[in-house]
Amino acid sequence: MGRLKMPSRWKHDFPVPSAVDSYVTRREFTKFLGLTSLAFLIGTCAAAARKLAKLLFPRQTSSVAVADIQEIPVGGYKLFRYPTEHDPCILLRLEENQFVAFDQRCTHLSCPVVFNTATRQLACPCHEGFFSAENGLPLAGPPKRPLAQLSVTTENARVLVGQSEERTA
Amino acid sequence: MNVVLQMVMALVTAILLGQLWLFTVTLDVMENPAVSIRVAIAATVCSLLACGSVWILIRFFLNAEQSETGG
Repeated sequence: MGRLKMPSRWKHDFPVPSAVDSYVTRREFTKFLGLTSLAFLIGTCAAAARKLAKLLFPRQTSSVAVADIQEIPVGGYKLFRYPTEHDPCILLRLEENQFVAFDQRCTHLSCPVVFNTATRQLACPCHEGFFSAENGLPLAGPPKRPLAQLSVTTENARVLVGQSEERTA
Repeated sequence: MNVVLQMVMALVTAILLGQLWLFTVTLDVMENPAVSIRVAIAATVCSLLACGSVWILIRFFLNAEQSETGG
Protein backbone atom coordinates (compact mmCIF):
# COMPACT_ATOMS: atom_id res chain seq x y z
CA MET A 1 0.00 0.00 0.00
CA GLY A 2 1.53 3.26 -1.12
CA ARG A 3 2.02 6.16 1.23
CA LEU A 4 -0.28 9.05 0.76
CA LYS A 5 1.71 12.02 -0.54
CA MET A 6 0.82 15.21 1.20
CA PRO A 7 2.06 18.58 -0.15
CA SER A 8 4.50 20.25 2.17
CA ARG A 9 3.05 22.92 4.35
CA TRP A 10 5.83 25.37 3.53
CA LYS A 11 5.06 25.08 -0.18
CA HIS A 12 1.59 26.20 0.54
CA ASP A 13 2.77 29.09 2.72
CA PHE A 14 5.53 30.26 0.33
CA PRO A 15 4.38 29.40 -3.20
CA VAL A 16 7.42 30.92 -4.95
CA PRO A 17 9.53 28.51 -7.08
CA SER A 18 13.28 29.06 -6.83
CA ALA A 19 13.52 29.72 -10.60
CA VAL A 20 11.07 32.59 -10.31
CA ASP A 21 12.79 33.87 -7.18
CA SER A 22 16.18 34.21 -8.93
CA TYR A 23 14.74 35.60 -12.18
CA VAL A 24 16.14 39.01 -13.09
CA THR A 25 14.15 41.10 -15.51
CA ARG A 26 15.82 43.19 -18.20
CA ARG A 27 14.59 46.31 -16.48
CA GLU A 28 16.31 45.30 -13.24
CA PHE A 29 19.49 44.43 -15.09
CA THR A 30 19.62 47.76 -16.94
CA LYS A 31 18.98 49.53 -13.63
CA PHE A 32 22.01 47.70 -12.24
CA LEU A 33 24.11 48.82 -15.24
CA GLY A 34 23.00 52.42 -14.78
CA LEU A 35 23.84 52.38 -11.09
CA THR A 36 27.24 50.84 -11.89
CA SER A 37 27.93 53.70 -14.28
CA LEU A 38 26.89 56.17 -11.59
CA ALA A 39 29.20 54.47 -9.09
CA PHE A 40 32.15 54.78 -11.50
CA LEU A 41 31.35 58.47 -11.99
CA ILE A 42 31.19 59.10 -8.23
CA GLY A 43 34.49 57.26 -7.72
CA THR A 44 36.18 59.25 -10.49
CA CYS A 45 34.86 62.53 -9.06
CA ALA A 46 36.06 61.60 -5.57
CA ALA A 47 39.57 60.77 -6.79
CA ALA A 48 39.76 63.99 -8.82
CA ALA A 49 38.49 66.01 -5.85
CA ARG A 50 41.12 64.48 -3.60
CA LYS A 51 43.85 65.36 -6.10
CA LEU A 52 42.50 68.91 -6.28
CA ALA A 53 42.39 69.17 -2.49
CA LYS A 54 46.01 68.02 -2.29
CA LEU A 55 47.00 70.81 -4.67
CA LEU A 56 44.91 73.53 -3.05
CA PHE A 57 45.63 72.63 0.57
CA PRO A 58 49.11 71.12 0.81
CA ARG A 59 49.96 69.51 4.12
CA GLN A 60 51.86 71.98 6.23
CA THR A 61 54.44 70.22 8.33
CA SER A 62 57.46 71.76 9.92
CA SER A 63 60.98 70.41 9.56
CA VAL A 64 62.20 68.15 12.32
CA ALA A 65 65.68 66.98 13.29
CA VAL A 66 65.97 63.25 12.74
CA ALA A 67 69.70 62.61 13.24
CA ASP A 68 73.11 64.07 14.06
CA ILE A 69 75.40 64.41 11.07
CA GLN A 70 78.15 62.25 12.60
CA GLU A 71 75.57 59.64 13.52
CA ILE A 72 75.34 58.43 9.93
CA PRO A 73 78.54 57.41 8.08
CA VAL A 74 78.92 58.03 4.35
CA GLY A 75 77.00 55.21 2.62
CA GLY A 76 74.92 54.67 5.73
CA TYR A 77 71.28 55.24 6.49
CA LYS A 78 68.84 55.81 9.31
CA LEU A 79 65.18 54.90 9.60
CA PHE A 80 62.74 57.36 11.09
CA ARG A 81 59.06 58.22 11.00
CA TYR A 82 57.69 61.42 9.50
CA PRO A 83 55.35 63.26 9.70
CA THR A 84 53.41 60.78 11.86
CA GLU A 85 54.29 57.53 13.60
CA HIS A 86 52.56 55.70 10.75
CA ASP A 87 54.86 57.06 8.02
CA PRO A 88 58.16 55.15 7.84
CA CYS A 89 60.99 57.01 6.11
CA ILE A 90 64.63 56.41 5.34
CA LEU A 91 67.48 58.94 5.48
CA LEU A 92 70.55 58.19 3.34
CA ARG A 93 74.01 59.74 3.41
CA LEU A 94 75.31 59.30 -0.12
CA GLU A 95 78.32 61.62 0.09
CA GLU A 96 80.05 63.64 2.79
CA ASN A 97 77.56 66.48 2.38
CA GLN A 98 74.77 64.78 0.47
CA PHE A 99 71.74 63.59 2.41
CA VAL A 100 68.50 62.39 0.85
CA ALA A 101 65.34 61.11 2.48
CA PHE A 102 62.43 59.13 1.09
CA ASP A 103 59.18 57.62 2.20
CA GLN A 104 60.16 54.03 2.90
CA ARG A 105 57.01 52.53 1.41
CA CYS A 106 57.45 51.06 -2.04
CA THR A 107 55.11 52.65 -4.59
CA HIS A 108 54.11 49.19 -5.81
CA LEU A 109 52.47 47.59 -2.78
CA SER A 110 53.91 49.58 0.14
CA CYS A 111 56.55 47.10 1.30
CA PRO A 112 59.43 48.89 3.09
CA VAL A 113 62.43 49.48 0.83
CA VAL A 114 65.99 48.86 2.05
CA PHE A 115 69.21 50.59 1.07
CA ASN A 116 71.90 48.67 -0.78
CA THR A 117 75.17 50.52 -0.21
CA ALA A 118 77.09 48.65 -2.92
CA THR A 119 74.68 49.44 -5.74
CA ARG A 120 73.48 52.73 -4.24
CA GLN A 121 69.90 51.63 -4.81
CA LEU A 122 66.82 51.25 -2.71
CA ALA A 123 65.45 47.75 -3.11
CA CYS A 124 62.02 46.39 -2.34
CA PRO A 125 62.46 42.76 -1.22
CA CYS A 126 58.81 41.84 -1.75
CA HIS A 127 58.72 41.98 -5.57
CA GLU A 128 62.27 42.99 -6.45
CA GLY A 129 61.61 46.60 -7.25
CA PHE A 130 64.59 48.96 -7.40
CA PHE A 131 64.79 52.72 -6.99
CA SER A 132 67.61 55.19 -7.47
CA ALA A 133 69.00 56.37 -4.15
CA GLU A 134 69.79 59.73 -5.76
CA ASN A 135 66.24 60.77 -6.63
CA GLY A 136 63.93 57.85 -5.84
CA LEU A 137 63.04 57.14 -9.47
CA PRO A 138 62.08 53.54 -10.27
CA LEU A 139 64.86 51.62 -12.04
CA ALA A 140 63.53 48.09 -12.35
CA GLY A 141 60.74 45.79 -11.24
CA PRO A 142 57.03 46.38 -10.81
CA PRO A 143 57.10 49.94 -9.35
CA LYS A 144 56.25 52.61 -11.91
CA ARG A 145 56.14 55.66 -9.66
CA PRO A 146 59.04 57.27 -7.78
CA LEU A 147 59.39 57.16 -4.02
CA ALA A 148 58.04 60.23 -2.26
CA GLN A 149 61.04 62.41 -1.50
CA LEU A 150 61.47 64.59 1.58
CA SER A 151 63.45 67.80 1.71
CA VAL A 152 66.65 67.55 3.74
CA THR A 153 68.72 70.35 5.24
CA THR A 154 71.55 70.42 7.74
CA GLU A 155 71.76 72.89 10.59
CA ASN A 156 73.96 72.94 13.68
CA ALA A 157 75.35 69.48 12.92
CA ARG A 158 71.81 68.10 12.76
CA VAL A 159 69.90 66.72 9.79
CA LEU A 160 66.47 68.28 9.35
CA VAL A 161 63.74 66.70 7.28
CA GLY A 162 60.80 68.61 5.85
CA GLN A 163 57.60 67.91 3.98
CA SER A 164 57.53 66.00 0.74
CA GLU A 165 58.52 67.83 -2.37
CA GLU A 166 55.85 67.68 -5.04
CA ARG A 167 57.36 66.32 -8.23
CA THR A 168 56.23 68.02 -11.37
CA ALA A 169 56.17 66.59 -14.83
CA MET B 1 14.51 44.64 -33.14
CA ASN B 2 16.09 42.18 -30.76
CA VAL B 3 19.42 42.65 -32.52
CA VAL B 4 19.23 46.40 -31.94
CA LEU B 5 18.61 45.83 -28.26
CA GLN B 6 21.59 43.52 -28.04
CA MET B 7 23.73 46.13 -29.75
CA VAL B 8 22.56 48.72 -27.26
CA MET B 9 23.50 46.43 -24.40
CA ALA B 10 26.91 45.77 -25.94
CA LEU B 11 27.45 49.53 -26.28
CA VAL B 12 26.46 50.11 -22.65
CA THR B 13 28.88 47.40 -21.55
CA ALA B 14 31.69 48.97 -23.61
CA ILE B 15 30.99 52.38 -22.09
CA LEU B 16 31.08 50.87 -18.60
CA LEU B 17 34.47 49.32 -19.34
CA GLY B 18 35.67 52.72 -20.54
CA GLN B 19 34.42 54.28 -17.31
CA LEU B 20 36.32 51.67 -15.32
CA TRP B 21 39.49 52.61 -17.21
CA LEU B 22 38.86 56.32 -16.56
CA PHE B 23 38.45 55.54 -12.88
CA THR B 24 41.82 53.75 -12.76
CA VAL B 25 43.44 56.68 -14.60
CA THR B 26 42.06 59.12 -12.02
CA LEU B 27 43.27 56.92 -9.16
CA ASP B 28 46.75 56.96 -10.69
CA VAL B 29 46.60 60.76 -10.99
CA MET B 30 45.58 60.98 -7.34
CA GLU B 31 48.53 58.88 -6.21
CA ASN B 32 51.16 60.21 -8.57
CA PRO B 33 52.20 63.84 -8.01
CA ALA B 34 53.96 63.89 -11.38
CA VAL B 35 50.68 63.70 -13.30
CA SER B 36 48.78 66.93 -13.93
CA ILE B 37 45.36 67.65 -12.44
CA ARG B 38 44.15 68.30 -15.99
CA VAL B 39 44.21 64.57 -16.66
CA ALA B 40 41.91 63.98 -13.70
CA ILE B 41 39.56 66.76 -14.82
CA ALA B 42 39.45 65.37 -18.38
CA ALA B 43 38.77 61.87 -17.05
CA THR B 44 35.98 63.18 -14.83
CA VAL B 45 34.32 65.04 -17.72
CA CYS B 46 34.58 61.95 -19.94
CA SER B 47 33.12 59.79 -17.16
CA LEU B 48 30.24 62.27 -16.77
CA LEU B 49 29.51 62.10 -20.51
CA ALA B 50 29.74 58.32 -20.41
CA CYS B 51 27.33 58.12 -17.49
CA GLY B 52 24.86 60.37 -19.32
CA SER B 53 25.19 58.22 -22.44
CA VAL B 54 24.52 55.06 -20.44
CA TRP B 55 21.34 56.47 -18.94
CA ILE B 56 20.14 57.71 -22.36
CA LEU B 57 20.84 54.30 -23.90
CA ILE B 58 19.06 52.55 -21.06
CA ARG B 59 16.05 54.82 -21.51
CA PHE B 60 16.09 54.01 -25.23
CA PHE B 61 16.44 50.32 -24.45
CA LEU B 62 13.50 50.27 -22.07
CA ASN B 63 11.28 52.29 -24.40
CA ALA B 64 12.14 49.98 -27.32
CA GLU B 65 11.44 46.93 -25.21
CA GLN B 66 8.15 48.35 -24.04
CA SER B 67 7.00 49.10 -27.57
CA GLU B 68 8.16 45.64 -28.69
CA THR B 69 6.24 43.79 -26.00
CA GLY B 70 3.35 46.21 -26.08
CA GLY B 71 3.53 46.57 -22.31
